[in-house]
Amino acid sequence: MKICVDLNKCQDHGQCVIAAPDAFAFGDDGKLTWVTEPDERLRQDVEDAADVCPEQAITLED
Amino acid sequence: MAVSSTRELPFLNVADPDFAMTSDEVVAARARSWCARTNYGLAALRYDAVKTLLKDRRLRQGSHAWPRHNGVTGPFADWWGHVLLNKEGGDHARLRRLVNPAFSPRLIGSLGPQFRALGEELIDAFHDEGRCEFVSQFAEPYAARVICMMLGIPQSEWKTIATWSSDMGLALGVTFKQDLPKIEAALEGLYGYADDLIADRRVNPGEDFVSRLVLAQRDEDSLSHEELRIMLVLLIFGGMDTTRNQLGLALQTFMRHPDQWRLLAERPDLGGAAVEEVMRVNPTVTWVTREAVEDFTYEGVDIAKGTTVHLFSQVAGTDPAAIPDPGFDITAERPPHFGFGGGAHHCLGHFVARSDMSEALPLLARRLREPRIDGTATWLPASGNTGPIEMPLRFTPGN
Repeated sequence: MKICVDLNKCQDHGQCVIAAPDAFAFGDDGKLTWVTEPDERLRQDVEDAADVCPEQAITLED
Repeated sequence: MAVSSTRELPFLNVADPDFAMTSDEVVAARARSWCARTNYGLAALRYDAVKTLLKDRRLRQGSHAWPRHNGVTGPFADWWGHVLLNKEGGDHARLRRLVNPAFSPRLIGSLGPQFRALGEELIDAFHDEGRCEFVSQFAEPYAARVICMMLGIPQSEWKTIATWSSDMGLALGVTFKQDLPKIEAALEGLYGYADDLIADRRVNPGEDFVSRLVLAQRDEDSLSHEELRIMLVLLIFGGMDTTRNQLGLALQTFMRHPDQWRLLAERPDLGGAAVEEVMRVNPTVTWVTREAVEDFTYEGVDIAKGTTVHLFSQVAGTDPAAIPDPGFDITAERPPHFGFGGGAHHCLGHFVARSDMSEALPLLARRLREPRIDGTATWLPASGNTGPIEMPLRFTPGN
């Protein structure tokens, strides 16, 4: 599983950080960071994160 | 610009009944500074400032103390203290994680045909007469029946839901304390609905929205009965008046831009863009409230812990620094608006609102040609959550 974030769409709302805190986080500069290829056990969280993104900026590739 | 003292900032008297977000005074203040002083604290006026401060973790959602500021205790104050909107940090994240999947855009997207059928039915009832009272004959039943659909309540009960929700809305107004008995009766009524729904879905779980909330689980954690009923009341309260008001405001905006209304009638695929463009220039939620949780300085302005900072969504949405084109154009590319707030407290129901309004507006454009005010429209105050109370319309029936 690979996480892709379209940074042209991302508005840093942080809903993905709430949904999947082990895969997404805010850096000290307030910008979003994420694990590019998260562990399979995080799949449900990461799918929720992609679903819930208000800007629909997150896509997952298998 | 370095501002050593907030006294140098422009002042906006937002408590004045004639205060308007679209006034020359506000435009001039935005040109002068990113920030103004108001009767309640500070106001952010520019696109970049609102965009940044919405997500700044040195600010929390700012209306948590509203009942206390009004000297109100009891059932409403208890509900207010426990709703998602007024939670922060770990408590907020836990609740949001549990409820978010019920609002999945995949689930909401499948409701499009039902939203369209509802819109057609409501329009059919007045279409041939070429006139209607838009709020009571379309906006209000549409908003309320969408909520009935989501919750699996018989649609015949929409009026009760709408009335209780509006009564709850009195809590946001200046007569909060004197309206308290009415507000508490509405809360009690909505709790009753919620209790019945929760009990039913525990016994008969399905694929529907309420079942998803009842069954929501993460790592052995789930919503308690108390949390579920608080949440369901919030969803009704949060989805009803906002959608009704926003539909009325959409009509107001399009009546000022008849070419855009005609375009939408021909291009129903622009329904989604129409919702975004209306919410940029004419949102029902004209500001969102934040409160500083620590002392900090932003763009030369010292903000002390405890300061209320209003983020003027509507004023930011028309900031020429971010949107140089002053027009209203549903085909234009625009940066995101702030009509749904943003950050951790971004509107939970925005996929529902976006979906139901993007179905309703093209239908209305096709069947209510050349709409114009027939008599006098009456309006809620321009501050806070605004919109028409009554909006009598005449139109040319379209097919």
